[in-house]
Amino acid sequence: MSKDAKAPLSAGGFRFKVRGPREFYGGLALIGLAILALFASSNLPGQQGFAFGPGTAPRIFASLLAVAGGLVALTGLLADGPKIEKYAFRGPIYVLCAILFFAATIRGVRIGPITIPQLGMVPATFMAFMIAISGSREMRWVESLLAAVGMTVFCVVLFVYLLGLPFQLWPNF
Amino acid sequence: MTDLLANLALGFSVAAHPYNIGFCLLGALVGTLVGVLPGIGTVATVAMLLPITFGLPPVGALIMLAGIYYGAQYGGSTTSILVNIPGEATSVVTCLDGHQMARKGRAGAALSIAAISSFLAGCVATVLVAALGVPLTSVALLFGPAEYFSLMVLGLIFAVVLAKGSVLKAIAMILAGLLLSMIGSDLETGAGRMTFDIPELSDGIGFANVAMGVFGFAEIIRNLELSKESRELVQSKIRGLMPTRQDLVDASGAIARGTVLGSLLGILPGGGAVVASFAAYTFEKRVSKHPHLFGTGVIEGVAAPEAANNAAAQTSFIPLLTLGIPPNAVMALMVGAMTIHGIVPGPQVMTKQPELFWGMIASMWLGNLMLVIINLPLVGVWVTLLRVPYRLLFPSIIVFCCIGIYSINNSPTDVVIAALFGLIGYWLVKHDFEPAPLVLAFVLGPLMEENLRRAMLIARGDATVFVTRPISAGLILLATLLLVLAMLPMIRKRRDEVFVE
Repeated sequence: MSKDAKAPLSAGGFRFKVRGPREFYGGLALIGLAILALFASSNLPGQQGFAFGPGTAPRIFASLLAVAGGLVALTGLLADGPKIEKYAFRGPIYVLCAILFFAATIRGVRIGPITIPQLGMVPATFMAFMIAISGSREMRWVESLLAAVGMTVFCVVLFVYLLGLPFQLWPNF
Repeated sequence: MTDLLANLALGFSVAAHPYNIGFCLLGALVGTLVGVLPGIGTVATVAMLLPITFGLPPVGALIMLAGIYYGAQYGGSTTSILVNIPGEATSVVTCLDGHQMARKGRAGAALSIAAISSFLAGCVATVLVAALGVPLTSVALLFGPAEYFSLMVLGLIFAVVLAKGSVLKAIAMILAGLLLSMIGSDLETGAGRMTFDIPELSDGIGFANVAMGVFGFAEIIRNLELSKESRELVQSKIRGLMPTRQDLVDASGAIARGTVLGSLLGILPGGGAVVASFAAYTFEKRVSKHPHLFGTGVIEGVAAPEAANNAAAQTSFIPLLTLGIPPNAVMALMVGAMTIHGIVPGPQVMTKQPELFWGMIASMWLGNLMLVIINLPLVGVWVTLLRVPYRLLFPSIIVFCCIGIYSINNSPTDVVIAALFGLIGYWLVKHDFEPAPLVLAFVLGPLMEENLRRAMLIARGDATVFVTRPISAGLILLATLLLVLAMLPMIRKRRDEVFVE
């Protein structure tokens, strides 16, 4: 999709310039989302008589989103806007890894040939904390370990003992 | 009038029983304790604490639940103000000015004014529920699907007007939120919609996942980008835990207007506390002498939505108790609790079990009072949360959110979905898209579609039904007017830009 839209950039005598990149690429992404939604709902039955089918509302709103996204992208061509801020990678990657580690090990998961064992709540919480805190440039080892232990104990006491949620604390041996 | 007093007296005689006061106090305390934890909102708190009330007698259980509800709501506002993470949609607006106040070192004043305005609004709304509960049933009965749909359109337009920056982008966010809410099983046919054959998506995406992702995780990722100095500002310079006399004077008008708006919008089913807090903030911004300061930490920006959502939370019991329709997720949980105790919500509750009905209303007021009594002295405790260095706070919030999301359904997939929404939220911020309208649309989406479909079916496919029915037409007209008003400065600005060239 973005290829089609970028094509006129250099084509012909009439030159397009992306003046508001936040709007332009944001709008394109929304159009992409709308197309994805239209594709995903294409197999759903539509209107039957007076009644909406399951696919009617998604298609209406996806089409409207495509129009809105197009207009947003258009403003990116017509009006000057600020540049897109640089994306940071270190923080998001560590945070994401911490969350995914927790999700994978709290119950264990099987992805294709790889089986991740169930570690239980205590190791999952402790490790997720340590992975997340490694993303910070201000991380200090002793303080972090103490905080991780403290947070793990707090969570176990609150969720398992006070709220009585049925979490498995330790891995199965 | 004598009826009203007699009813309230009956209610207070029930609620003031030492046991019931104890349950109310305990509920408010536990509710605040859990609700104050970042990433855990009112719904999650009430859902988690629901089981502990099952062993109590019906009146005590419902009174304790009301206490938990108010405690959780107040706790949620506290997190919004201190760490800018709204646990649920009603406290999204509180973040805007509340967190800015905290950044300026006025976290204490923001927290106290939130409690005070909630309490004052609660007092008024309690009397209102008692006085209008019976006659207002007839107004709510006038609402058909077309009116519900138009009402929700109005609510979403409020969100657009409220959003910073471009109106167009906010509308795009609303549409994206509505689309996201349609993922999962179709309401009528049960057909899986846009699930890409992923079984975990067949029930749709949970509100908590989306909210914690785009608000919680995205905020953390973004905060990590900021330099140490700019974050340190958020955590130091706390002066004056109590609001000053000037604060109270500034907030008084906002509290009054928020209470009126909240009480009115809370009565309408489907609207409720979410729309009320958005509407009150927008309205306050419009009538303010200094609208440009909103979003930078003005006290009215905290007082108005807090008063409104509390008033609305109170009056939203009217549709629940008179029509048996839960207007929001918390009320849906209340229905669950009532059913377990053998009470069927609906008109018969008021006539058949007056001591329960009025006892509950009185206990709402007591719950609010408890909050002021417990929380004003404890404001200092919550504020010390700010002194925890961010490098330790952010991993704690992350693991807490992870456990919180996981505990709702015992589903690791939910945690992954929330992480995904964290990245989406990060991207949205980079492109100047506001997440708040998206989340509101996501919450209202299913109700909206249901009513749209029903209205179209009843009107035999005639889409003009929304402008031919008077109440619906009025709501649509109001929405259009608001939208035009919001667009006007934009049009002017665009034209200015054209003229400069």
